[in-house]
Amino acid sequence: MAAWLLRRLVAALAIVFAVVTLVFFAIHLAPGTPFLPTGDRPLDPSVEAGLKARFGLDRPLGAQYVSYLDALAHGDLGESFSQQRPVSMALKEAVPNTVVLAATALALELLLGLAIGAVQAAYAGRRLDTLLTHTTLFFYSLPTFWLGLVLLLVFGQELHWFPIGGVIDPVLHQALSPAGRLLDRLRHLALPALTLGLVGAAGTARFQRAALLEALSQGFVKTARAKGLTETRVLVAHALRNALLPAITLMGLALPFLLTGSVVVETVFAWPGMGKLAADAVLSRDYPVMTATTLAAATLVVAGSLLADVLYAVADPRVGRERPR
Amino acid sequence: MTAVPLVPPAVVLGAVVLGVGLLERRARGPAARRFFGSPAAALGLGLLLFFGLLALLAPLVAPYRPAAQIDIVGLQNRPPSWHYLLGTDLFGRDVFSRLVYGGRVSLGIGILATLVSVSLGGAVGAAAGYFRRATDAVLMRLVDVGLAVPKIFIVLVAVALGRPLTPVPLALLLGLTGWFATSRLVRAEVLSLREREFVEAARALGARPWRVIARHVLPGAAAVLVVSAALSVANMMLLEAGLSFIGAGVQPPVASWGNMIADARDVLATAPWTSLFPGLAITGVVLALHAVSDGLREALDPQARRGPPASVAGERS
Amino acid sequence: MRRLAPLALIVAVACTSRGGGSCHGEHCGTVVFAAIGQPATLLPPVTDHFLDRDIFDQIFLKLADVGPGLNTVGDSGFEPQLADRWTWRDSLTLAFHLDPRARWQDGRPVTAGDVAFTFAAYSDSVLDAPEHINLAHIASVAAPDSATAVFRFRQRYPEMFFDAVYYLRILPAHLLRSLPLRQWRSAAFGRSPIGDGPYRFVRWDPGQSLELEADSTFFLGRPHVRRLIWRFASDLSVAVTQVIAGEADAIEVLVSPANVARARQATQLALYPYPGSAYLFVLLNLRARDGSGPNPILGDVAVRRALVAATDRVRMAQSVFGAAAKVPPVPIPEFWAGLWFPDLPVPPYDTALADRLLEQRGWRLGSDGVRHRGGRKLAIALAVPSTSPARRQYAQLIQEELRAVGVEVKLDLMDNVTLEDRVRRGAYDAAIQAWANGPRPSFDLTPMWVAGGGQNYAHYTNPAFDRWIEAATTARAPAAALRAWRAALGVLAADAPAIALAAPDNVAAIDRRITNVRLRPDSYWAYVRDWRIAPDRLIARDRLVR
Repeated sequence: MAAWLLRRLVAALAIVFAVVTLVFFAIHLAPGTPFLPTGDRPLDPSVEAGLKARFGLDRPLGAQYVSYLDALAHGDLGESFSQQRPVSMALKEAVPNTVVLAATALALELLLGLAIGAVQAAYAGRRLDTLLTHTTLFFYSLPTFWLGLVLLLVFGQELHWFPIGGVIDPVLHQALSPAGRLLDRLRHLALPALTLGLVGAAGTARFQRAALLEALSQGFVKTARAKGLTETRVLVAHALRNALLPAITLMGLALPFLLTGSVVVETVFAWPGMGKLAADAVLSRDYPVMTATTLAAATLVVAGSLLADVLYAVADPRVGRERPR
Repeated sequence: MTAVPLVPPAVVLGAVVLGVGLLERRARGPAARRFFGSPAAALGLGLLLFFGLLALLAPLVAPYRPAAQIDIVGLQNRPPSWHYLLGTDLFGRDVFSRLVYGGRVSLGIGILATLVSVSLGGAVGAAAGYFRRATDAVLMRLVDVGLAVPKIFIVLVAVALGRPLTPVPLALLLGLTGWFATSRLVRAEVLSLREREFVEAARALGARPWRVIARHVLPGAAAVLVVSAALSVANMMLLEAGLSFIGAGVQPPVASWGNMIADARDVLATAPWTSLFPGLAITGVVLALHAVSDGLREALDPQARRGPPASVAGERS
Repeated sequence: MRRLAPLALIVAVACTSRGGGSCHGEHCGTVVFAAIGQPATLLPPVTDHFLDRDIFDQIFLKLADVGPGLNTVGDSGFEPQLADRWTWRDSLTLAFHLDPRARWQDGRPVTAGDVAFTFAAYSDSVLDAPEHINLAHIASVAAPDSATAVFRFRQRYPEMFFDAVYYLRILPAHLLRSLPLRQWRSAAFGRSPIGDGPYRFVRWDPGQSLELEADSTFFLGRPHVRRLIWRFASDLSVAVTQVIAGEADAIEVLVSPANVARARQATQLALYPYPGSAYLFVLLNLRARDGSGPNPILGDVAVRRALVAATDRVRMAQSVFGAAAKVPPVPIPEFWAGLWFPDLPVPPYDTALADRLLEQRGWRLGSDGVRHRGGRKLAIALAVPSTSPARRQYAQLIQEELRAVGVEVKLDLMDNVTLEDRVRRGAYDAAIQAWANGPRPSFDLTPMWVAGGGQNYAHYTNPAFDRWIEAATTARAPAAALRAWRAALGVLAADAPAIALAAPDNVAAIDRRITNVRLRPDSYWAYVRDWRIAPDRLIARDRLVR
């Protein structure tokens, strides 16, 4: 188990390393100098040379790559053009926001998705199942940002139940008691998390229903039924437990979606996370920020899938050695 | 310009209903019958054909040029009417005409990107599964890397490196970054197929590897490929919409369903028709693609019916 | 009636226990401004964005400022700020006597040395302050003693005093002297400035909000409103929605008729129409993007005039700003009504004329509907800020109108800070700009259009224009100045380095509990320190003590 874990860890690191390399060369081999994006700055040559020297762009690509890795190892991600401060500072503010949003959405997605899936499996083939199948498929087919816009319009602008974007109330937050602060954060979190969570839950439910039905058709469930257990007990005690394994896999797979979805959802809800940082960086051609957000996203995804692997191994000792894909 | 703009779409709708009905009646063979046995799949197919035909026949169906600003003062954000079936937008453009032409772009991007991603994913998956050993290891590690970066980030980097992309390069880019999951599915399928007798026989007869793959292995994996392609079109369309929304997708004046919604976000409350219809169009087509892919899976591979749908959450964008 | 705050928030406020106590009386109050985008920096000389200026003008003082009447001639109407009085030593020498009570927010006194330091920084070519050309008539600023700053002018003209005081925000030399000018743009000081104004900097949460707090010991009088908060929205519609929903108290311009209608329905809001200082135009870059020579397309005056003729500016303005919108002859604001000469040689809207002009210059219509000349396509990249709905709207309108005469317009959407940066560096073809000007035309037009001007991002040069502007600036008699103005703007209109789009009226929306509101067209929030919230009208966020 320890050796397996170590192998997985090494593989994860290797993947992140590969992503760094890929992004680094993609950006540096692209036309135009990366730090002066348009490449047609009417600067006097000495200033330009100075800038290049400052960012180390006057050296061979290989040397640049090595020093980039070196800086990275020391937590230095360069300096943002548009924010005129170190990228790591911007990232440090953004990542927690994204993680909170993604984690909440994930929790919502799993709880809601598993519950709906279970209900559907219990009522398989009946009207409720059909209704839920269509409902989940509908939510699964919605463009995430459109759902977000509609939720914002209805619950924010019209009903005033939730604030119009942001993470905290800029005025009141500092003065609130700890409980009040939490409540304030939750109020701001509700709509974006719901947007991501609803779409994700629809996917999870579809997956879970099928997995449960498969589990229900297997031998040990038949045995349990034969022993005279009630249908609910069969579903909960036997089938659900076995169907949890795919749900764990799903969790690992859901992370890329949550991060991808967060790019647009954070834009809709003015949520200052990594997605918004990345989207803004595109609009301002801020290369160092783009590289860093891509890197951070990759790290989060790899960490998520590693976590899923570990949970999977814990939940199912048979899969201790090599997890089937 | 047509006097009665309702006629062309009605004709298309009629043709589609008739066509699907005919197909259903003519349906022979167990697979086709299984497919049409599911009303959702038949309905989905009809919807796809409807939108597909509208897009193909756009110049005949749309009463106006999609970018035509008919009257920038007098026709701003007008609700649906007889002349402007789905209303007009902020620029006095006919929403219906934009929807029809936008379908060309959105569906086109979805299909082109899918062609690229399914071919690439199919080839890589087949190679990995068939040759195994080092090829498999190298290719699958590559896929791991690809899967580690959320697609939208790669696309954003690419968009930032150049000028905003026109639809065709955008589609190619989406395809080039969207094949990783497909290759895994195909690889798994090929791994089991290559042990089958007919494949071993072909190998024993000394056929070249790629010939075996093309002639014997890939046809066996066709079901997986087709199902995965249908879902991929849906995912690509959603991704395009998201990119257009944050300003990195299809650029004006070209209309896509995604940038129609993005353009209309400021008037979501006051002129809901400007974003409602493109939103419904995306949702409808994606819904239909899922229904069709579910139908296809059941039709092509009834044994696997109980397995989880291929549309796992990680695939969606 | 005010809209009821959402229940959850009431509960949350009820939970308030930290900090304890609440504010009562005259000097409470929190005003939340809904802002679009966010500032680049709060260090005055390196930025000329509206928002940056709105904020740093609460933190930094000038020597004196124009009065509400916006007089620019002589010194009548000017209100003392850092200087409590001033004297003319001779016709070219002006001495300011600093108010002995003036203090930096770190406790140090404000000295004449700070004034001399500020002048040196503003006029330095390395720093390249946008309006440094306006200081060209000032030969030197000396500090014979710590309380007296002496300005020496090169020549005599009616608006000398204005030039001396209007632009310079006095900076703390003791905090900035050690910082090389090259590094000012990214200086940490710009993210947490220390000034001498009525408000001091508290915090800046990037992408979210920025907070200032009243200096209760401010030497010109303690501000009534205790706390100013700018809330950054990603675009105008979100900002307007926040004000309407009561999440923010004030927005300086509602821009579109639809927003005005929405705000009118919100009963807690009062609307304040005031003369517009802002105007929109398409800035054309006359120089090639790489700076190598004239722009291969836009360097040609006939092409520029064709572009003007091809755009129906009146209808576009109606489409974006409503029936009442006005189109200025050249890019100038509404409140410079004296300069709206009706007979300037502005090309009328006439697509036939545009076609003719382009044909004459050899641009032939190709089968793709776009004109070509010698293998070059008549294609222009138009930079558009993603944060401004009005400018996004204009961009698509222009794109369609120019298409009709065979000009392809590619829209290049980017955030506003990036756009301004590109424009500043000359790395653009055409850009939709929105500017707000001060009360003195030559003060704003000189840097924009005179050869070598710090804001001449069009790279426009015409010696005739420069001569007329100089004549208008220095003319002693009003009639002569007006004649010079007509001639100068006539040259500008004929050369068409820009397409003037609109000069809209401003309508601000501000919460009714805030009284004594005055708005100044050239600096919206200039009088915020006089704003007042009556003790019986305080709401939860006003009373809040941290």
